[in-house]
Amino acid sequence: MTLSEYFELLFTDYTLGTITLGTAVLGAICGMLGSFAVLRKQSLLGDAISHAALPGIAIAFLITGTKDTNILLLGALISGLIGTFWIRGMTHKTHLKSDTALGLVLSLFFGFGMLLLTFIQKQPNANQAGLDKYLFGQAATLVKSDVTLMIIVTSICLFVILLFWKEFKLLLFDADYTKTLGFNTKFIDILITFFIVLAIVLGLQTVGVILMSAMLLAPAAAARQWTNKLSVMIFLAAIFGAFSGVFGTAISASQNNLSTGPVIVLVAAVFVAFSFVFSPSRGLLFRQIRFLKNRRDLELKKTLQFMYGIAKTHENISHPHAIRILNNFHGFTRKTLQKLEHNGWIEISNQQWSLTNKGFVEAENLYNQLLEND
Amino acid sequence: MTSPQIEIQLIAVVVAIACAIPGVFLVLRKMALISDAISHSILPGIVIGFFITHDLNSPLLILLAALTGVITVILVEAIQKTGLVKEDTAIGLVFPVLFSIGVILIAKNANDVHLDVDAVLLGELAFAPFDRLIMFGADVGPKSLWVMGVILMSIVLLLIMFYKELKVSTFDVGLSSALGFSPVILHYGLMSISSITVVGAFDAVGAILVVAFMIAPAATAYLLTSDLKKMLWLSIFFGVIAAISGYWLAHLLDASISGSMTTVLGVIFLGTYLFAPNKGYFSVIYRQRQQRIEVSLLAFLLHLNNHTEENERHVKHLNEHINWQKVQSTTVLELAQKNNMILINDDIVSLTEKGKEFTTLALEYIITNKDDKIEHMKDDFFLFRG
Repeated sequence: MTLSEYFELLFTDYTLGTITLGTAVLGAICGMLGSFAVLRKQSLLGDAISHAALPGIAIAFLITGTKDTNILLLGALISGLIGTFWIRGMTHKTHLKSDTALGLVLSLFFGFGMLLLTFIQKQPNANQAGLDKYLFGQAATLVKSDVTLMIIVTSICLFVILLFWKEFKLLLFDADYTKTLGFNTKFIDILITFFIVLAIVLGLQTVGVILMSAMLLAPAAAARQWTNKLSVMIFLAAIFGAFSGVFGTAISASQNNLSTGPVIVLVAAVFVAFSFVFSPSRGLLFRQIRFLKNRRDLELKKTLQFMYGIAKTHENISHPHAIRILNNFHGFTRKTLQKLEHNGWIEISNQQWSLTNKGFVEAENLYNQLLEND
Repeated sequence: MTSPQIEIQLIAVVVAIACAIPGVFLVLRKMALISDAISHSILPGIVIGFFITHDLNSPLLILLAALTGVITVILVEAIQKTGLVKEDTAIGLVFPVLFSIGVILIAKNANDVHLDVDAVLLGELAFAPFDRLIMFGADVGPKSLWVMGVILMSIVLLLIMFYKELKVSTFDVGLSSALGFSPVILHYGLMSISSITVVGAFDAVGAILVVAFMIAPAATAYLLTSDLKKMLWLSIFFGVIAAISGYWLAHLLDASISGSMTTVLGVIFLGTYLFAPNKGYFSVIYRQRQQRIEVSLLAFLLHLNNHTEENERHVKHLNEHINWQKVQSTTVLELAQKNNMILINDDIVSLTEKGKEFTTLALEYIITNKDDKIEHMKDDFFLFRG
């Protein structure tokens, strides 16, 4: 199947439509909540929580014996939340730093989850096959009810974000101020963390434990480069996430042997790389261009200053001088000379330059910041 | 015990020690999560190495994969240096991407590669003894034991050689560069060692559980001591205990060996986290409660010192005036009485001589804010603590 065939099939093929809708919705919710995670410097929380969810899935299966997605995800949610609160407890109550706490919860919970999974596999009655899809995720297993669940959770999440918009925003940028205004910071904090954990758990089935953190971070990190406004960032992140989901699904469906999760992550990574380089205000490319422009401007001004130093010693400021006496040290190049002439600051005739009145005034006031700069 | 059983435990112990030593430094340098990132991102290195060598235990594969680990660290630092995102976001972006590349490489070449993502991530210690190293026609033991043994030897050697450099640069980067030890070289040295350890250990215990073996023993030891040497010994001790008892737990449950080792590590850490003297959860809670009561006591004594009028010193008044709950007032009053700092006559509280002396000293301490801690003063005056 080629890419164009895929997009034709998208609207006719039921399974493909469901999966694509699922990954798109997942990308959107992850982008939205990931923005908060990135700005709260909790980027790696996603990694820790997705690993910490594994024992919850195993225990939920051990208790109920069903493979109903909703019940397994409920188990994942509970163990993810336990992991989150243990991380908070560790960083608040002991001198262990957050990186150690995250790493501990991640590896210990995951190891315990593996113990349980292998234990389940050895059970005589177990129809446990399929539990390990949560490790690497299988978008192909998404069915209508899963997608419905995702849409419901996304709507609730959107509603809560809009309802507590002001509180979330305030807590994000100035936690102390929020406290002095009398908001219950603990409650807001727990609410937002809860939704981040919820989004992570939702994504487990599709992209799996290991790649979940990128799903959460990449759209938000890309969106961050394009704006300094929270609302715009969340909106952009949701769009980037949704597009990564759709394109990822499309590419993996059009090739053999490609699992969806890694492809979605790579597509999201392309978004990030593009944003890092080409974002107008923060991007590396435009930063480099600005840097070069500033340097050229500085060299131009230095040449002008040097000319001013010479012209000052003459009664007639427009007395011509040889170009030879200018030197590279002051940033003199053919280009700067042309630019200076273009600005009407100097006049050039037969290898000689002379400062104009306009140029003289400009040079005189080069360091005078009180004067309006044009 | 059969001979494979002994060999499995031996491999586990060697892995535990080899992981514990770099782990201590990673935890102290607040870089614990780098080990997690490395453990995921070595996947493409392993896959490419496997294409070339077709042998999971070949030294070339280990070097190639370790190189990917170091590249991860360099990439993370490069992204961080642009200032576009924070360090944790950089880590979180780099390793899933590399991991995805690894997964896709495996998937695209599924026919030629007898390599499973599960195997790399989770490992299977039970199979380790079957892959024997044949040297000069003689069976000298399991391959992974030799691989990990060599890695462990190099780690121990490097640790002994560079112990003081590592110690200085871990706790005081400025001093270490002033003394002429390049922090960059030490940093990348440590990163290379960690990568090699992760790669060497992955087919025994799996890449993710290497992270547990690196962080958990070190974190447990860190809760118990502040001495680097003791911390190293303690984390080796915990690693070894977890390796051996984890094996027998797995034997009992007939479950994944590495999973049960991690579970034992988790139980050890949880126990230490809750009950460690001084730094554990309960002792921190207890100390915070004690301090809260003692601060209240001090505030109360200062209040008494300031007021001679009776209505200000009435027991009932305390609830309203200082805004304390009844229980807290009772605790504070009892503590003050036990320490002979106040007298209560007809519900009117007054300071004793000792109470006055303590209050004056405390006041002086508060005003001058001298560097010596108030704890000494408490020791001098308090018969009973809060």
